[in-house]
Amino acid sequence: MNIELNGSEQINASPANLWESVIDPAVLQRAIPGCISMTETGEGQYQMALELKVAAVGGSFEGAVSLSEMNPPHSCVITVSGSGTLGTGGGNATVAITEGDDGNALISYQAQGEVSGLVAGVGQRILMGVAKHLARQFFAALKKEFAAA
Amino acid sequence: MTEQKYKFLSTPRRPVEDRRFVAGRGKFIADFDRPNMLHVAPLASHYAAAAINGIDASAALAMPGVVDVITGAELAAAVQPLMNGLNTPNVRRFPLAVDRVRYAGEWVCAVVAESRALAEDALEKIIVDATPQPFILDAETALLDTSAPVHPEHGSNLLLDRKFVWGPVDDDFDAAAYSLSFSVTWGRNSTVPIETFGVLAEWNGWDQMLDIWASIQMPKYADQIARSLDLPGNAIRVHYDVDVGGSYGVKRGIKHSVLVGYIARKLGCPVRLIEDRLENMRAGDAHGPERKFDITIAFDQDGTVRSMKMRALDNAGAYAGRAPFQLGKPISAIVGPYQINSVAYHALSVTTNKTVQEAVRGFGQAPTNYAIETAMDRVAEYLGMDRLALRQKNLIRKDQFPYLIPSGSYYDSGDYHAVIDKVLTAADYPAMLAERDRLRDAGMMAGIGIAACLEPSGGNSSFEPLLNQSNQTSTWMESCQVNIDALGMVTARIHTTSSGQGHETLVSTILGEVMQIDPELIRITRPNSLESLPGNSPVGSRMAIMLGGAAARAGEKLKAKIMAIAVHRLGVAIDQLRYEGGDVLANDGRRFTWDEMVELAHRQYHNLPDGMDPGLASFDIMQVPTGDALPVDHKVQMYPCYSFEFHLLLVSFDPIIGRPDIHSYVIGHDCGTVINPAIVSGMTYGGIAHGIGAALFEEFAYDTNGQLLTQSFLDYLMPSSHEVPAIQIVKHCTPSPHTVFGQKGSGESGYLGAPAAVSGAINDAVSGLGIHFEKLPIRMSTISDAIAAKTS
Repeated sequence: MNIELNGSEQINASPANLWESVIDPAVLQRAIPGCISMTETGEGQYQMALELKVAAVGGSFEGAVSLSEMNPPHSCVITVSGSGTLGTGGGNATVAITEGDDGNALISYQAQGEVSGLVAGVGQRILMGVAKHLARQFFAALKKEFAAA
Repeated sequence: MTEQKYKFLSTPRRPVEDRRFVAGRGKFIADFDRPNMLHVAPLASHYAAAAINGIDASAALAMPGVVDVITGAELAAAVQPLMNGLNTPNVRRFPLAVDRVRYAGEWVCAVVAESRALAEDALEKIIVDATPQPFILDAETALLDTSAPVHPEHGSNLLLDRKFVWGPVDDDFDAAAYSLSFSVTWGRNSTVPIETFGVLAEWNGWDQMLDIWASIQMPKYADQIARSLDLPGNAIRVHYDVDVGGSYGVKRGIKHSVLVGYIARKLGCPVRLIEDRLENMRAGDAHGPERKFDITIAFDQDGTVRSMKMRALDNAGAYAGRAPFQLGKPISAIVGPYQINSVAYHALSVTTNKTVQEAVRGFGQAPTNYAIETAMDRVAEYLGMDRLALRQKNLIRKDQFPYLIPSGSYYDSGDYHAVIDKVLTAADYPAMLAERDRLRDAGMMAGIGIAACLEPSGGNSSFEPLLNQSNQTSTWMESCQVNIDALGMVTARIHTTSSGQGHETLVSTILGEVMQIDPELIRITRPNSLESLPGNSPVGSRMAIMLGGAAARAGEKLKAKIMAIAVHRLGVAIDQLRYEGGDVLANDGRRFTWDEMVELAHRQYHNLPDGMDPGLASFDIMQVPTGDALPVDHKVQMYPCYSFEFHLLLVSFDPIIGRPDIHSYVIGHDCGTVINPAIVSGMTYGGIAHGIGAALFEEFAYDTNGQLLTQSFLDYLMPSSHEVPAIQIVKHCTPSPHTVFGQKGSGESGYLGAPAAVSGAINDAVSGLGIHFEKLPIRMSTISDAIAAKTS
């Protein structure tokens, strides 16, 4: 099943600061919903472990994350692949950071993914809602990073 | 008319089973618990096709409460492959995938743990090293030489490829004024019972006995388990007193049963597996037919349909099983209720990387009826003729029975025109037409659906020898035992599980009628398979005919014995005696009572006729009426009885929204003599609801990656009380000459014609736009998109 997710968020940080955070495994681990561990395995390469609950289906997920086409602090492509009890999945997101009039960063993303296995059977309507919800959680946590700073 | 003939039959009596079901006291598989019982959770494949390189279960096995992890490799070394209906020995199927997975959701391995929750937790720790492989979802693609076989050892994806020509097809086509061709597709759906499949197995090494409790509806279930586990047949004891929470064909969890049977024997513990909804939907191996029809039909200007060529291509899914035979049953009614002189039939079944197919209500007849009825609508449209008049012109007439159809079956009896006339009157057909036109004038799309079709019933599985020449099946017997105890009470045994068909009601009503005893006083038991006589389970709308027949015959045998005792006791000829309500009355006024007779048979051997065995017990193993012979020249009498149904409905929808609203639904139903009116009506109402689902909602839809999208009731849509209208049933009775009371089958009623009728109504509604919907289900979005494309 294919999933597409697009959006943009205003973050209370300069583009440079935001860039530094989103490539910091410690920040990512705190911000990604259900993330148990995030280990840098190479330049722009991460190993990630998640515990997620999607509707009636819960499970663990292990995957690899890689950042490519890095153009600091403006844009990059994030590629994710992995598998777990929920099924297998993969996808990529194009992320662009621009500077708003107030000097704060505006992050926009276009993501497309494909999932299979149990998670595909949860139902597309629910899964899209879950994906949006997880994205909201991620950005809420990211904003908190800068609110606290 | 016939209603008056009987004391208990055809009278409104509450089904015996209803008491415990309504009170919530049925006993289903989840109600069976055994001490120290273990639980199983299967690990599902994420891929539609993949090679299994290795399975690492060490982390799972290390978890507390986890007892074992069974892999396909272990199982394949220990059990025989599951039975195939066709001669396809290289399409091997085991309960777990061996070396490769062939559909998304297929079971890769199974965790055995102290609770189902622990087993599910352990699934997360199993690491399967798998390499995804190419896969096929479409049946036509599967046929191509360039497509890799789902089972490489089999050499192709073809499971079945048979061409039949019955009658002078070429001559009839040459002689016909017109011919037209079209294609329709029956979408993959099923019966999705609320209770999923479950099975409990317990091995006792001291008795060398495997006890099985299961939510099962399957012929020769115990035999199949014994064969797969290499156990003697009398080492399997299937308990038939398990209530089954819905089935209509699909409760055939043979892979589940062999799996838990193996585990129970290996571990020496009771083991239970009950599918959750996702397991049931994608890996219960219980999807129904998915069938594409290519039809060419020859006809004359006056509407006479002369001949039909039908190619039926069925997508069987990843393994063979019994599913390809679902192309066989429709041969028994291949011309529907019509006088079509000749037929060419090309039946194809292929493997794909989809879930395995199983028998579903009607065993392939409902899709074929949909194709035939669409043909009638298309011919009428081509000729500009009224659809109803076209049908009435081609229907077999009352005076033509028994009627021999080209494929070799005699239809036993019927009065199709009379049933239709009754329906037209009950529905006030002119008013229905006026209402359709009024709706159209008001800007709605409105259409009338018409379908006439048959329900072949009580057959002897003759499609097996017809489609598989090494199969020599010429009986599909059923049995019943009856005993009158020393206190004079009657107990009958039936030898199968029941999945809502009301067998206890059936047998007690029929025995009551034969013995002239109140059915309420007759006890029905469902013993285990080792205490049973041979039978073939409730499939193919057979139990009213076969179990009812065996019960009646067993009752008649007892009555004969009672009469013989009475002749001896009263010292008069049998023609001086008559049986009445359990007593025997002599013409001279003497009465030999039931109680005296019981006393004699149970205690006074010296007062019995010479040589007569004591006691009052009988049994009957009944052969299928008319089902005596193997096929000759690719023709065979398949079913003894043919029930008839005629559907008429009015539907409307907004042209922009496209959401069908069924205004009125009338069905005329003739299943011969009715045993219990409430059970027959219940079957018919449910069958129509199921048919509305098949026509408008229900489909196992796959995405392009081979993932089943409709895995839960969120996405697999079923009709609710909002979508199912009030249904009016118009009854008619043409008794069958082949059964004890003239009864025919009704277990598939409603479903056999409703999809065709609903499709016909939707197509009638859009006929002015030149739209033909050629695939079921016809979803709301399909309707609105098609109209938008035509009108924008």
